Amino acid sequence: MSQLSESVEQAVEGIAEIRRGKLDLTWMNCNSSGWGVRSKPRDERGLTLEDINADPYYGRVPDHGAAHGSMAPRGCDVPPETPSLGCYDINDKSLVWADNVEELYEEAAVHQWSSSRDIPWDQLTPQPEDLEKAMCQVCTNLSEVEFVAGDMPAKWLWHINHDFHEVKCFLATQIMDEARHLEVFRKRALANGGGLLRASPASENLLRLIIEAPNYTVGSALMHILGEGFVLTMFRNGEMFSLTPVEKKIFRLCMQDEARHVAYGTMHLKYFLERHPERESEIHEILSQGEAATFALNQSRENAEARAILAGGSVERINAGLVKLNHLFVKQIHEYLHRLKIAGIDRSHKLAIPAKLPI
Amino acid sequence: MAKFPSVEFFNALKDRINADPERLRRLGTTDVVLVVKIDHPDRSECFEVTFAAYRCAEVRAVPNARATRARAVIVEGPDAAWREMIENIQLNGQADLNHSLNSLTLLDTPMRVRAANQLDTDLFYRYQQTLQEYFDGAGAPVQ
Repeated sequence: MSQLSESVEQAVEGIAEIRRGKLDLTWMNCNSSGWGVRSKPRDERGLTLEDINADPYYGRVPDHGAAHGSMAPRGCDVPPETPSLGCYDINDKSLVWADNVEELYEEAAVHQWSSSRDIPWDQLTPQPEDLEKAMCQVCTNLSEVEFVAGDMPAKWLWHINHDFHEVKCFLATQIMDEARHLEVFRKRALANGGGLLRASPASENLLRLIIEAPNYTVGSALMHILGEGFVLTMFRNGEMFSLTPVEKKIFRLCMQDEARHVAYGTMHLKYFLERHPERESEIHEILSQGEAATFALNQSRENAEARAILAGGSVERINAGLVKLNHLFVKQIHEYLHRLKIAGIDRSHKLAIPAKLPI
Repeated sequence: MAKFPSVEFFNALKDRINADPERLRRLGTTDVVLVVKIDHPDRSECFEVTFAAYRCAEVRAVPNARATRARAVIVEGPDAAWREMIENIQLNGQADLNHSLNSLTLLDTPMRVRAANQLDTDLFYRYQQTLQEYFDGAGAPVQ
């Protein structure tokens, strides 16, 4: 009795038929409308998604993803017997798209860096204990929060219709970016005589809000615009309170990655609200919750004190550090509100948190 | 090195960064129009530096910050701050911790970054490493 399944038996017989000269070749003549394409690179970047999407047949991203429910690439011939995978329930372009997503994917692909190779680890120098501990606490927190921006896209990635592959490709680059952020901050904490310090319950509250978001756009607004917008400013801060060229390089490279994520989130929310203005209140509601959780995270003792010590230069100068952090917090709020304005949402009178710290 | 500030100076930085195309490819694409605005007590000087794909494409002087290309990111500050940054780079071979573009603009003093909207301002963050290496070219040994 054969141990091979029916499908394997059929495949074996198929190979045998090819060997006997009984060829099929019907696949050569399918999809005639999509034949004859010669996409070309427009410049030294090479052949990009924008270049191949210039072709009207393959480049048209439909408002509703194909109903076949499979991973068949957009524009190909899909045989009627193709099974649905039963997982793609985000089939509306407006629920995931951003007009800058192709550009951002290509930029992400060429901006990948290595925490092992591209950080000048040999330039670490011993630091006063309070500063090293503060830096290690900041790195502990960043290593804790960064990968929600990997987990969240991963949660939704396999729900997104395959016709929106540009979005899926970009989200895959974000997952890689965040993996790198998680590990580079862990590496810094473990590279200069210190170690990991305290995890933050307040962080977990925000992270849960993001992970449990009821839909992708709400999760994106929380994560890309609010969470990563704040982290982007924190990375800018990071260069200010860097102790050595090592931290400076880490924060600068992370800043570049984070800015791409924020750019996607801003333009996705814009695309979404232009088509679903009736859902603006839903976004306001989640942002209120997110603002409160983010504020609690940032102002938790272990995080606020550590950053203030670094900003001030020592435990003794923590108050001077708080003054600097207040200025940066005001900037954080300003930039956040202006990104939301681009997206078409005004929260200037709805913020659930103070616009400046009580300092 | 040509005198700062001048089109010749910024062109020299352009030539230096473009002289290492492999480095530029490692950094990734950069697509931004950066305007260096140097404020004097009685006037300002503006220099527009255009980055496209894997090179610094063009440098030109512009009469003011309004005469720049679309989506320009303006980095502005007093002449003394710009000179201190350039001198720091020339002394150290690259900007030290307190004289990077990001450090100098972070608190909006002595320099600040602005653009037509926040998404354009964020381009300054997206291409920060390339922009910094462009200015760090002022510290490179003369070939």
